[in-house]
Amino acid sequence: MPARLEVTLKPELFDAEGAAVCRKANDYFGFDIESVRTASILTIDVDLSENQLEAVQKEIFTNPVTQVSSYKPLDIDFDWILWVGYRPGVRDNPGSTAIEAAEDLLRIQVKPYEGIYTSKRYCLKGGNLSFEDADRVARELLANDTIQQWKVFSQKEWDPEAGVGIIIPKVRLDHKPTVTTIPIDSDEALVRISNERNLALDPNDIPTIRAYFLRDDVLARRRVVQLSEPTDVELEYISQARSDHCNHNTFKGLFLYRDLATGKTQAVDNLFDTCIEAPTLAIKEKKPWVVSVLWDNAGVARLNEDYYYVITGETHNSPSNMEAYGGAITGIVGVYRDPMGTGKGSKLVMGMYGYCVGHRDYRGELKPHLHPKRLLDGVIEGVRDGGNKSGIPTPYGQVWFHDGYLGKCLVFVTAVGLMPSVMKGAPCEEKTTSAGDLIVMCGGRVGKDGIHGVTAASEGFSAETPAGHVQIGDPYTQKKMHDFLLEARDEGLIAFITDNGGGGLSSSIGESACFSNGCIVELEKVPLKYEGLDQWEIWVSESQERMTVAVKPEDHERFMALSAKHAVESTVIGRYTDTGKLHIAYDGKTCAYIDLDLLTSQFPQWTFEAEWTPPEMRGLFEPVLAEPEDASGLLLDMLSRPNICSKEWVIRQYDHEVQGTSVIKPLVGKERDVNSDAVVIRPLLDCPQGLAAAQAVLPNYSQIDTYHMVACVIDEAVRRVVAVSGDPDRIGGVDNFCWPSVQYDPRHNPDGKYKAAQLVRANWALRDICRAYELPLLSGKDSMYVDGHLKGRYGVTHKVSALPTLQFTCTSVVEDIARCVTMDCKVAGDLVYVVGETKDELGSSEYYEHFGYVGLNVPKLEPELCMKSYRAVSRAIAEELVASCHGVYRGGLGVHLALVAMGGGLGMDIDLAKAARVEAEKDHVILYSETPGRFIVTIDPKHRSSFESIMNDISHACIGTVSDEPELVINGLKGSPIIRVPVAELKAAWQRRFKGLV
Amino acid sequence: MTQSKINTKRVNALVLTGYGLNCDFETAYAFELAGAVAARVHINALISEEVSLADYDILVFDGGFSWGDDHGAGVLEAMRLKYNIGQALDRFIKEGKLILGICNGFQALVNLGFLPGFDGDYKTRQVALTFNDCGNFRDDWVPLSANSDSPCVFTKGIRQLELPIRHGEGKFYAPPEVIRRLIDHDQVVLQYATPAGDAARGQPPYNPNGSAHDIAGICDPTGRIFGLMPHPEAFNHWTNHPDWTRTKELMKRKGQPIKPEPTVGIRLFRNAVDFIRQTA
Repeated sequence: MPARLEVTLKPELFDAEGAAVCRKANDYFGFDIESVRTASILTIDVDLSENQLEAVQKEIFTNPVTQVSSYKPLDIDFDWILWVGYRPGVRDNPGSTAIEAAEDLLRIQVKPYEGIYTSKRYCLKGGNLSFEDADRVARELLANDTIQQWKVFSQKEWDPEAGVGIIIPKVRLDHKPTVTTIPIDSDEALVRISNERNLALDPNDIPTIRAYFLRDDVLARRRVVQLSEPTDVELEYISQARSDHCNHNTFKGLFLYRDLATGKTQAVDNLFDTCIEAPTLAIKEKKPWVVSVLWDNAGVARLNEDYYYVITGETHNSPSNMEAYGGAITGIVGVYRDPMGTGKGSKLVMGMYGYCVGHRDYRGELKPHLHPKRLLDGVIEGVRDGGNKSGIPTPYGQVWFHDGYLGKCLVFVTAVGLMPSVMKGAPCEEKTTSAGDLIVMCGGRVGKDGIHGVTAASEGFSAETPAGHVQIGDPYTQKKMHDFLLEARDEGLIAFITDNGGGGLSSSIGESACFSNGCIVELEKVPLKYEGLDQWEIWVSESQERMTVAVKPEDHERFMALSAKHAVESTVIGRYTDTGKLHIAYDGKTCAYIDLDLLTSQFPQWTFEAEWTPPEMRGLFEPVLAEPEDASGLLLDMLSRPNICSKEWVIRQYDHEVQGTSVIKPLVGKERDVNSDAVVIRPLLDCPQGLAAAQAVLPNYSQIDTYHMVACVIDEAVRRVVAVSGDPDRIGGVDNFCWPSVQYDPRHNPDGKYKAAQLVRANWALRDICRAYELPLLSGKDSMYVDGHLKGRYGVTHKVSALPTLQFTCTSVVEDIARCVTMDCKVAGDLVYVVGETKDELGSSEYYEHFGYVGLNVPKLEPELCMKSYRAVSRAIAEELVASCHGVYRGGLGVHLALVAMGGGLGMDIDLAKAARVEAEKDHVILYSETPGRFIVTIDPKHRSSFESIMNDISHACIGTVSDEPELVINGLKGSPIIRVPVAELKAAWQRRFKGLV
Repeated sequence: MTQSKINTKRVNALVLTGYGLNCDFETAYAFELAGAVAARVHINALISEEVSLADYDILVFDGGFSWGDDHGAGVLEAMRLKYNIGQALDRFIKEGKLILGICNGFQALVNLGFLPGFDGDYKTRQVALTFNDCGNFRDDWVPLSANSDSPCVFTKGIRQLELPIRHGEGKFYAPPEVIRRLIDHDQVVLQYATPAGDAARGQPPYNPNGSAHDIAGICDPTGRIFGLMPHPEAFNHWTNHPDWTRTKELMKRKGQPIKPEPTVGIRLFRNAVDFIRQTA
């Protein structure tokens, strides 16, 4: 008989979790709930005696100082009770640690069919809620129906004896694992089956696939292993490997690009090869610090003589859009496996985040699956738990609001690792598999998680079917695995390592087998979460927290001993061969037998029509605006705009100090609350080198021209790391593209040709700027199909496409961290310089957006001039002439002068007339133009001549001084003050929007 | 004790690892800076007796998310150690060795009953660290004041300091009579304070979690077992401090270079090492 233990805080203790629920419910729905108390429930479906139950209750689950508990429902005052628990098959992290603890305490072994499940009971008081109101709190705040179930009890319905009932979300699949063969009589038949089974085979690939399976020699060889027509396992393998996600078919496609202004057409063959690979390989030749790029899970660059850093960035958009917390935690924990699986493995040293979502206060008529407010909260919390519980600092991040992301949010996650350059005498960045090596799967077990992710969402649920398509990452399991694998690496036990992410074993084994040229996998050996999975499901499941490792047979014993010490499950599931075949068996029977080189054979290239309509032809124009009369009021409102204002509440939820490496924090300045341009960590505690990192997005520029969007985004990220003293000649980049669908369809994607042209132009900018800055791309990923279909008024469904978005990450080495600078002005009397020219470039600026305009004059980068300027600024910083340095980004000089003043808690007297400028002859243009390439620098007056001589042939101007009087005074071109605002007032405006949030 | 003869030369610190602990590297590094020889040892290596606790002078329960913080931060770590190496731990305390618990480690120490350790009782749970009043994890540097009358070995000679806090469950809670007793016996070692050094009096952000009596760290009556929520090991270098770029610039203007002296974070560890050397 299962037992149900309820645990709650003693009534005299403040229930912080309940209070947070209460606050959110009132904030989200405008309710007036007085209080919420919470109780944790453990449903123990394990055969335990009375004594054993009492032991776990007292020793594990109840803190005698703060908690009370009972196997009968606790008596907690309420008007409504909401119960929320997981659906079957959803990762229940506290449930698994509860089992671990019970086993440890009672010295028992919990049986595979037993389990402990956690859930929560919320007791709501006050607010006169109706059933619908209470249900809404459960449905829209506490539970997400893709992973959770809930119940609502009124006082009348609550039975104090029965409580919430005994609910056991156990997966039961009465299913015998079956391999199905797929008839391939005709292309049409295979297309039909592909659709029926959600194989997502590209129709253009189907003739190639059929031709392979119909070849006489292939048929003959297959007959030997008792196979004829392809099996589902085989087609799943091909489908995964050929997917856009794994294969970058879009970026490797052929674009027929037509400029509608000139009428000129050109064929652009393979954006990946021409705009990403070629420039990076050329730069790598010149820059020996670029160690390993373009082939592994992450890029590798040199930090110092003995160590490399490893970096990659990912997105986890669709899952986060469905289930914000689960999607985001799975995203961050997942990207951490990439550096773990790079070379022979690296230690994680830093994470970063970027969220693009609809406005937090969106009140429009479209109904996204999750309101942006809730979605953002969930995403923030997911990355918080994923990062903090992994013990990896998460110091840098950004949030961007735009209602184009209502259709699909973007969740960028970036991971940085560290590896020694040499491990046991061999280069640590190299790895390979060899015939005879064992295939070992480490970490979590396999369930139906993530199988055919998105399509599964539309299927119905029954009480015992696993809600498999949405996952919840488990940082605890992964942290144990991380520690284990590093120890194994250091003992030289790892020949090859890669992670199980998209495509699961199909990808990790499929790709690693290409090194040895073959493998044989015994699928029945793969440890499962529950019985009843088909072979193809085991093969493609994306269950998290798993790595695939190649281990030499002679190292097997030691590897397993270390695994046991770290309480990590590792299983030999096959071995690498050199047969040229991907060979999969289940209980001795072959279920896949494919030539590995099939995937390198000639699959047709994807083709796209691309049509570029220049902005003038799209009817964009510059608005006609006169100078504001209330320039001070305007500046205050600019500072409080969502994409400018303080987001301290997000930053403080992330641990940015763990590992003891923090040098430049995300928030700096006198009151430690203004954003730093970039962060710096010292990954090796006994070395002076630092690693500076920053990221940027500027999706709004895509409204005018994605070429300039990309140029400005790259420039911003570069400038950010230069501002804190990153070496401009050692900057590496990571490109993360998120694009709406670029495949033209007259009905479903009528502007597809334009979006395709936007993608081409974006890549051209990437190529041009990387070449000009000599900036190698250490890693990158693309995520297409950032579109959503949202229901609006009258029940009309609207397609919403996100703005084409590039997140660009820059890292650079800081030779001596003691020379880093921050953005806050430091001493009254210091001179304020603006480096770089200001032009009339307000197109799609924050300023125009404030008035509802797009404009035409999008900021344009002059990369050669800029790089010259960055080297000069960098030299001035290195010579310790600079007291503060801050880039001018979104919002222009007005916003960023205010930030420098706020950082220092000091005033500034500024003369706009002194600023170097080109055709910017209005105060508001100078203040809010977003021309790239600029810095605000403050220096000790005694360094004036040294500084100016370094800046000799760089456009720069001293535009004022830092003042003791904490007031920002800006004199306009006419010489009289146009803005005069106390710094405290500036900061209050900048902080007010999200002030109350924690 | 033959052990103590060896200790005249060398102080051995054991820093726990595994099961989601995550401050082991920097904590070991901090002890090395303080002059100890620090070993990162997996909890299971102690249980399997691959490593013997008896070979060490200082045991550190370092920070992290042991068992994911599920079922109460530090609860499962305490339970695993208590039921597997309880006797070795008892012996360690009896021999007068030092135990330090930082953040998650502090949470484990109170769940083991090592703190507050009234009347030599190192088994009973009498205090707790529970969810922050703000309802969320918070990362910030906080000013702290140290109790000069406390017997705590670690804070000797330290009056005021700043350290980072990073936790979701750091609110110190105990019944009023227990708090009273902690105060009366100077077992309250660290309290959250304002930048001016006054008591935080429960006010956020200075008291970041709603801790009773602004308590950030306590010791046992001997002063040899110390637990604190802030992270001294994360202040292992002067550039960890949030103000360092400002301080450096202001010093430069006065013509004074920054002298990279040991940080106050490292001094906490050095006090422990010195104590072992002196008692050896």
